[in-house]
Amino acid sequence: MDQKFEGTPKAEIQLAGRKLTRGDVTNDWGSQLVWEVRRNGQVVAQVPARSDASYEHPDTTPGQYEVVLQMFKYDGYAKDKDGNFTQSKFVEVSNKVAYTVG
Amino acid sequence: MLGIGNEKVSLCDGHGSTRRSFLQAGSAGLVGLSLPSWMSLEASGAVDQAQQKIRNCITIFLVGSPGQLDTWDMKPEAPAEIRGKFRPIDTNVSGIQICEHFPLMARMMDKVALIRSLHHKTGATHENGQRWMMTGHDFNPDSMKPYSGSVISRVFGNRGTLPASVILPYKIGNTGAGPLHGQTAAYLGSGHEPFFLGSDPARSDFKVSDLQPPAGQTEFRLNARKQLLSQIDEVQRKAETNPEVGRDTAYARAFNLLTSPEAKQAFDLTQETPKLRDRYGQNSLGQSCLMARRLIERGCRYVTINHFDTVFGISCWDMHADGGGLNNTYADYERLLCPQFDWAFTALIEDLSYRGLLNDTAVCVLSEFGRTPSLNPRGGRDHHPGVWTNFMAGANIKGGQVIGSSDKQGARPQNNPIEPPQILASIYHAMGIDLETTMMPGPGNRPIRLVEAEPIQQLFG
Repeated sequence: MDQKFEGTPKAEIQLAGRKLTRGDVTNDWGSQLVWEVRRNGQVVAQVPARSDASYEHPDTTPGQYEVVLQMFKYDGYAKDKDGNFTQSKFVEVSNKVAYTVG
Repeated sequence: MLGIGNEKVSLCDGHGSTRRSFLQAGSAGLVGLSLPSWMSLEASGAVDQAQQKIRNCITIFLVGSPGQLDTWDMKPEAPAEIRGKFRPIDTNVSGIQICEHFPLMARMMDKVALIRSLHHKTGATHENGQRWMMTGHDFNPDSMKPYSGSVISRVFGNRGTLPASVILPYKIGNTGAGPLHGQTAAYLGSGHEPFFLGSDPARSDFKVSDLQPPAGQTEFRLNARKQLLSQIDEVQRKAETNPEVGRDTAYARAFNLLTSPEAKQAFDLTQETPKLRDRYGQNSLGQSCLMARRLIERGCRYVTINHFDTVFGISCWDMHADGGGLNNTYADYERLLCPQFDWAFTALIEDLSYRGLLNDTAVCVLSEFGRTPSLNPRGGRDHHPGVWTNFMAGANIKGGQVIGSSDKQGARPQNNPIEPPQILASIYHAMGIDLETTMMPGPGNRPIRLVEAEPIQQLFG
């Protein structure tokens, strides 16, 4: 029997300076949870977020940063020739926060 | 004292009825003792429950089997084609590292005993490994051995209306090489079959089919039917033999489940807070772990969670990366399997501990075999019973230790090789069973030891 995820995970994240803090995830599927960090619109990092509720991205390259929590949603195990999922993917589960490094 | 042949066998002092004395008694006339005689023998104190510290057990069976080198026995110094993609992280026990994708488990390694030298010498099919780990015996189609939960049912019996042994969420189905997975009562009879949940507790349409009255039947009508059936049964009973007694027992057990409010409550996860359900993970493994805790709390003695019922066409531990029906890869481990396991396993340990149940409950994580030390050309790993890692926590198990080791390639045991019967012996020991004094009726009612191995002494503090 394959897994079927129901409901929608949700979490609130807050920003203090560059320090990110997340609340508990409701309707938590238990799959991989990451901070996705974008700089000037480009993804620069996906950092595991499950074991700690806080994170400060160490990169201080100047730019506009945007951060969101994402969780992996399993929708089937189909993969490409490199073994990466094609149907299943990360989905956003929180609000977005932004900060600027000058 | 009980007379068997010419020999008196003490049954009540806790050390008179050793395995040796039973075997000696067997040669003096015990062979041929009937099942009812064995039952009365048990009632006489061969299994003296008042004298024993009886504990529970939850086993999480990782169907498909994770690779030891990608999880709990990493070899960061090995060549890339052996060490694989993941990195090790430190744990809260100095000198013990595990995979980076188990960060929460790393913080409770002081509660876990890793066994890194487990191996078996039979064929590398899932079913061989399943039968070893479920029964503690090699497979013999002419003499099927009972599942460990059935053994526990036979030795300790039920507490209340819940079955002694439950398997959830689903029984193991197609894993490639036949239908026999070692999860039956075998010769112990239908009265000791595990109860299969048969439904995914993570699904919104979850229901236990055996707890639903047939359409149109109320509990009153069911009880009326039960009275009638019991009268018929009484007539039948006089004319029937032991296998039929087993059928009656199974029927009574099913009826008790169907009409028991306690059973319905035990299986009702909506009685748990959403926050706790989230902490276990809203997925099949997480909710099954939560249900296992509820069942243990309410009287079940032995719960097995099959983490997956097949290895074909789903994301599971069987990481062949074959590009077809067995196309699990590192992506499955990283994105889904390791995080779900880490989240659910640590929730279970925390929850049992918070409720004061961990000291009374062994938690065992088992699998069929390991995976090949070298990555295959597609970046997966194939079946490898040569060595693997399983682990135990809770009950009287001493955490924060590693038992045995594998060689530099993670291919063979290097120190203290452990075989599956020793795991079963250790589970029975952890549950409070003295393997020297507790026997059960084997085929033909001959008294036999529960498993032909000794517990791993190093496991116990």
